[in-house]
Parts: sequence; C-alpha cells; structure tokens
Amino acid sequence: MNILLTGASRGVGLEICKVLLEKGNTVYAISRSHTSELAELEITYKGKLFFKSIDLANTEGVYQTVFKEFVTNSIPLHGFVNNAAHAYDDIITNLNLSKLEEMYRTNVFSPLILVKYAIRNMIFNKTKGSIVHISSISAHTGYKGLAMYASSKGALEAFSKNTAREWGALGIRSNVVVPGFMETAMSATLSEDQKNRIYNRTSMKEATDVLSVAKTVAFLLSGDASSITGQNVHVDNGTI
Amino acid sequence: MEEKILKIINNVRENNQLAPLLKLDESDDLRNDIGLNSFDLAELTVCIEDEFDIDIFENGLVNTVGEIYKKLAE
Repeated sequence: MNILLTGASRGVGLEICKVLLEKGNTVYAISRSHTSELAELEITYKGKLFFKSIDLANTEGVYQTVFKEFVTNSIPLHGFVNNAAHAYDDIITNLNLSKLEEMYRTNVFSPLILVKYAIRNMIFNKTKGSIVHISSISAHTGYKGLAMYASSKGALEAFSKNTAREWGALGIRSNVVVPGFMETAMSATLSEDQKNRIYNRTSMKEATDVLSVAKTVAFLLSGDASSITGQNVHVDNGTI
Repeated sequence: MEEKILKIINNVRENNQLAPLLKLDESDDLRNDIGLNSFDLAELTVCIEDEFDIDIFENGLVNTVGEIYKKLAE
C-alpha cells in the first residue's frame, strides 16, 4: 500500500513510519526536518520510503508541494496518516492570536486540505483508502495549559467522523487514534513531577507505549480494519 | 477539449451502468440530463483536473456542460 504520512521525522510519526515499512508498505513521508533516523530508514528500505521537507504551517502551499510535486495521481494512495502537530502550551488568559493561528494552520487547516486531496487521489484511482488522524487524550481529559492544543485535536475528531459518513459509500474510511501521554519531544517540556501526575491518572500508571500507538495506526490502515470507520481508538493506558 | 469532456463523462456514467452519450449539449444539466450524483460529480471534477489542471468546482457550483466549457476556457 502507498501511505502518505506527516510528521514522520521523530516521535510517534517516526515509529509509525518504521512499522508501516516493516509491513511492506511504501511510505511518502513529510516533515519539516530530515533526521538521521529517517535517513537510516531510507537506506534500509530503499525504494519504499520517500521524503519531502514541507512545513505544514504554510497551508496555501500544501496542494502544490504535496500533491503536484510529491504524491501525484500517478501514485494510488491507499492511506493517509495525519500525525504532524504543533504544540502550543499556555494558560488561556495568555492566549496569543498569532500563535493560535500558527498552531491551527499546522494542526487543522493543512490536514483538512491534505484530506481533501487525499480523497481526490483515492477517487481518481478508485482506491478504498483509509485515513487516520492522530489526536490527543487532552481532547477528552482536561489538562492545565493544553486547552488551545486540545481544541485543535477536537476539531480533527469531528472532521474525521464526518469524513467517514460522507465518503463511506465509496469505501473510504476515516478514524482517529487518541494516544495518551507518550515519552516524545512533544511532552519534553513537562517536568518529571508533571509527567508522573499525568501518568498516575491512567489505569496503567505509566507513559503510553509509542509502538502500541504506531501499530494501532497500521492496523486501522490495513484491510483487517475494513469495517472500522468513524471511530476514535484510545491508546492511552486507560485514561478513564 | 469537448471530446475529452465527453469521454470523461462517459467514463463516469459507466460506473452507474449508464450507456455512453454520443454528444453533449451546452445546456445539458449534469445531474438531471446526464444523470450524475454528487459522488459522480466529485469523480468528474477529479478527472477534469487531472486532464486540464483546472478545478472546476473551486469557486462555486457548476451545473451544466456549458459551464464546464466556460471554466476550462477561462
């Protein structure tokens, strides 16, 4: 399968990239920066991993850079993983409009445009594609300082459910994976004490396993999940 | 250009087991006369964009064959 993946250079995106390649998929990876980990994968999986440096904060450029220069209609798209995200942590009374807009461009506006053209590619190639958004547990359980970030993930969850309803008749599926807090760069700004308090709110009392998240994404992209659409799948160590 | 549009429309009609049309009139309504539903119109748009590099639905709805020709001539 040909999979388009954003935010592929590190964290959960890199793990998703690895799992998809191990399963024999071809991955079209996007992120702002190219990392040594990604370069290693390009050597190991020569001809199966293609990378393009794109900053999704530039929403106006997404169509040209992604779908005219990278994943054209000649590449039938079977899956799209919307993983790239920009973290904006602050309390609401400090909300800054330009920071909010920048986050929404990366986390919401560009992903919606990517879904638009991913579906168009699937229609053109008559593929029953699968779309997977990466959300966050913060959209379901409140955390101080994450209101703005969580709101962007809530937007994706609503969009995914409606995508599923709108395009299900063509066999196109859309689901969301909702990870709990993971040990990635995204949570690196938190202190040990903050992290421990967050982990203690979960049933399993520890950080969410990045590999478990990545494998859930791969499952939702695969034919094994052919009857699953419009769902939010929580991979969060039981944050209940 | 008009021949290519006829070919694309007939390809989309084929999905719904509709017989190919021999010719198009500018006044033909895409839904009522040509028999396309909203999914067919999406496919039509995608195929026209692939051929002509123009998104006919980008700035509002297109209802007739003549309106497609007009968008492509712009």
